[in-house]
Amino acid sequence: MNMVSKLKLRSRKQWLGVLFVFPWIAGFLIFTLYPLVTTIIYSFSTVRFKLEGVSITYENVKNFTDVLFKDPEFKLALPKYLVQIFYFVPMVLVFSILLSLLLNNNLKGRSFFRALFFLPVIIISGPVVENLQTMGAASLQGLGSFPVYRFIHESIPDFIAAPVLYVFDNAIMILWYTGVQTLIFLSAMQKIDRSIYEASMVDGASSWQLFWKIIIPTIKPFIFLNSIYTIVDVSMSTMNPIIIEIKNAMFNIKKGFGFAAAASWIYFFIILLTVLISYFLFGRERK
Amino acid sequence: MRYQGTKINPTRYDRSQLKFFIILSVLGVFMVLPIIYIISTAFKPMEELFAYPPRFFVRKPTFDNFRKLFEVVQSSGIPLSRYIFNSIMSSLTMVLTSVVISSMAAYILSKKKFRTKNLLFEINTLALMFVPAAVQIPRYLIIEKLGLIDTFAALVLPLLAMPVNVFLIKQFIDQVPNSLIESAYMDGANDFFVLFKIVMPIIMPALVTVAILAFQTSWNTPDPSSYYINDDAKKTFAFFMSAITTRISGNTVQGQGIASAASLILFIPNIVIYIIMQNKVINTMAYSGIK
Repeated sequence: MNMVSKLKLRSRKQWLGVLFVFPWIAGFLIFTLYPLVTTIIYSFSTVRFKLEGVSITYENVKNFTDVLFKDPEFKLALPKYLVQIFYFVPMVLVFSILLSLLLNNNLKGRSFFRALFFLPVIIISGPVVENLQTMGAASLQGLGSFPVYRFIHESIPDFIAAPVLYVFDNAIMILWYTGVQTLIFLSAMQKIDRSIYEASMVDGASSWQLFWKIIIPTIKPFIFLNSIYTIVDVSMSTMNPIIIEIKNAMFNIKKGFGFAAAASWIYFFIILLTVLISYFLFGRERK
Repeated sequence: MRYQGTKINPTRYDRSQLKFFIILSVLGVFMVLPIIYIISTAFKPMEELFAYPPRFFVRKPTFDNFRKLFEVVQSSGIPLSRYIFNSIMSSLTMVLTSVVISSMAAYILSKKKFRTKNLLFEINTLALMFVPAAVQIPRYLIIEKLGLIDTFAALVLPLLAMPVNVFLIKQFIDQVPNSLIESAYMDGANDFFVLFKIVMPIIMPALVTVAILAFQTSWNTPDPSSYYINDDAKKTFAFFMSAITTRISGNTVQGQGIASAASLILFIPNIVIYIIMQNKVINTMAYSGIK
């Protein structure tokens, strides 16, 4: 008797759980996973759209070899993208940590500044960014003539100078990408109990030590979260060179949808690789 | 600095804070730059729009662009209010359902133990990294098979599947202490109560962020209207705006001015929603309920 009622209760609870996830799973399967699987089939074939429907002829790995070895545009877009990922993403993270440290101070007008620095969220996802960039508003104009800039450009070896100059050139774009990330870091920093700071200051910790020993370990899971978010954000942006290339290929008669699908899957694995790198840097939890 | 008792940060303005103000103000200027640009471009007369080198600020502001825009709007068969109504309805439905569905799923994925849990979340995370444009055609075929072409659902459903929402919300629910949820169970709360009355208020910043992002996608994109809707009366405002600007873009010079006016009008709801919601983000920022 007792066993039966226990079982009943348990399965009822499980059903409640299923009820909670069901809408998401259903939507996800129909509108995301199924289309994804379909693109796998497309990527191995030539796809033609006819009046009576889609015709698919199996082509083996031809699309993939085309993307990797034959297509000149993909080859050009890839290094551009990699530069963007390896310079841009870390800079966005650093900037957003710095901004959230500043905003975590008990300043007067703090809520105004917080609102201001969250503002890029509505800008970066809108259509204006492209206009701004073509106008040159996204880079600091006349920067090239500054003595510091010229000094870095001329007298420091290229492999050090390149990232520094990249930051100078893209400073404003980096700032515009920090909206969500700053917010996430800020809400993580707010969770740190004030008494921890006090205790460590009594023990003689400097604010530099506070930052490295208390703030960074606390926000570490969020660094990982933000690094994934930024990688995805940058990679999926409509201004991304590879996205532009894939979109063009879709409506190009010579390349077609099979080519675009293959390119998307190759791109997917590149993004996955960068995410794995950031996992090894920030994601592993200390036992 | 005067004696602060047990506090570290001063409560009122202090001269030592001046450096923060300067840094924040300088950076803040860049944050408002795009908005100023949108507003100032909308009022630029023709010769300033095409001036080279391009100017950031408007010199001689005019309402010309808006006048031309309204002329075009009036010459089209369907009243503008219809498009705006469609947009508001679809965006609101999308934001509400997306937040509720995502947080329900994220709650289960974060706090319950079952066999396929990790697999599900990993698939979701992987789906984040796939080019959205590449699934357009299979997605269209599904919408067609389900018979959703030309329905209101076609405006909402395809956008609802935003893996990034579940991803973000789940990471925040992970930080909600288990002891808080357990104590609620002890007091007889069920999962609905725990989620809506305890978990969701705590992760409000994340929810509002997701809501703003969802609104952005839904409001700004003309895609669902152009792919899945043939009936003009069911299309959205974003589609209408992009359509009139491209329809006239045979005459690019004309189109540019109208486009800039249209993008300002399209942008206003974004900023309104933002101003309403950002307050919620900042005020409820992370209090955990447990010390």
